[in-house]
Amino acid sequence: MSRKTLALAGCLMMAVGLAAPTAFAHHSFAMFDQSQTTVFRGTIKDFQWTNPHAVIWVINDAKPLATPDVWTIELTSPGNLTRMGWTRHALAIGDKVNVEINPLRDGQHGGSLKKITVLATGAVLTSSLIIPGKP
Amino acid sequence: MSGAFRAGLVAAALVLCGGAASAADDPSGRAPTPQDWAALAALPDWSGVWTPDIEDQFVQARTNVPPWTPKVAGEMKAMAADEKAGRPHGIFQNCLPEGMPAWMLVSHNALEFLFTPGRVTLLGESDGGRLRRIYTDGRAHAADPDPSFHGESIGHWDGEVLVVDTIGVLPETYIATGEALGVPNDGDLHVVERIHLVGPDTLHDDLEITDPHVLAAPWRTTRIYYRHRGRKNEIVEGACLQGSFNEAHDAQGHAVFAPVAQDQGNVVPTPK
Repeated sequence: MSRKTLALAGCLMMAVGLAAPTAFAHHSFAMFDQSQTTVFRGTIKDFQWTNPHAVIWVINDAKPLATPDVWTIELTSPGNLTRMGWTRHALAIGDKVNVEINPLRDGQHGGSLKKITVLATGAVLTSSLIIPGKP
Repeated sequence: MSGAFRAGLVAAALVLCGGAASAADDPSGRAPTPQDWAALAALPDWSGVWTPDIEDQFVQARTNVPPWTPKVAGEMKAMAADEKAGRPHGIFQNCLPEGMPAWMLVSHNALEFLFTPGRVTLLGESDGGRLRRIYTDGRAHAADPDPSFHGESIGHWDGEVLVVDTIGVLPETYIATGEALGVPNDGDLHVVERIHLVGPDTLHDDLEITDPHVLAAPWRTTRIYYRHRGRKNEIVEGACLQGSFNEAHDAQGHAVFAPVAQDQGNVVPTPK
């Protein structure tokens, strides 16, 4: 491996390490408990506007910890979200928000988004697996 | 003119005419005429963007279960139990095209129809791999079409109903009733669809799916789509695999996609 390649690999690894830890391929939402709702106030750590599922990472501000309590929250696709009134600029890193999610069944800190409120503006955005059907 | 020479001319003419007739019979080689384009106006209006009725997909999954073979029925029971327990099988996790018939059966994303002379094209959202070419130019199926994700689809208009016959589907594509519930068709899949409006903005796709490897009998089911118009509803480009990459920068500062490890269909959240 050349030095240049090594530098590229190292740089990519660093960038990846600083960004999201996992990928969100096309999958079922059965790992989320649709009968439960978890609500908390937090800060947007990152917002990924990509297919097949957009993703938000939110730091839970209720329990300030030495290691931030980051929740990984999935949404439907950008196309479906656009039909629900979202844009890729709907959330910004650092935004203070209130989130409402269907949590992961296994208790890990993640879920599928139901509703998010941007506290500074009062903007409310919703997401649903069931996209708007009848016009 | 000698008899032999005349016979030769006749034979040559037959060959030539036969060749010409053969070319004329092959609709794929004919350029569309202004009349062909004008004829599109007589077809039903399927413009706009169509979103699937996902709630009805779930209802269908519960109430109109495919007539699986006993072996596959057992496999489906186990898959359903895993999904119910929050351990879904990621059958589309690899981001390959859902293909036929899974796309029509379980997609949560929008699609659009394009009419051109001799063809109806379906384009799906969320992944560029969702694309069906349905030939309505009068051709017959190829004798042995190369298998593909969406197969070889030949259509014709029965009044305002588009009748589509599809064969040549890759054996690995799923017959699915959910994003975590389905089985590969294993080959010899045959799908007949009747696609038609049932209201001003409601479309039905009535499917009859035959598959001797996993179905004990033909399975008939309907999927419902609703029309939307306006800019915010237009299909947006998507690449399913984009979610498998992070936006990063290389050593030169260029924006690049950096692959990240895949999960198994479940979210792997940031550690507590």
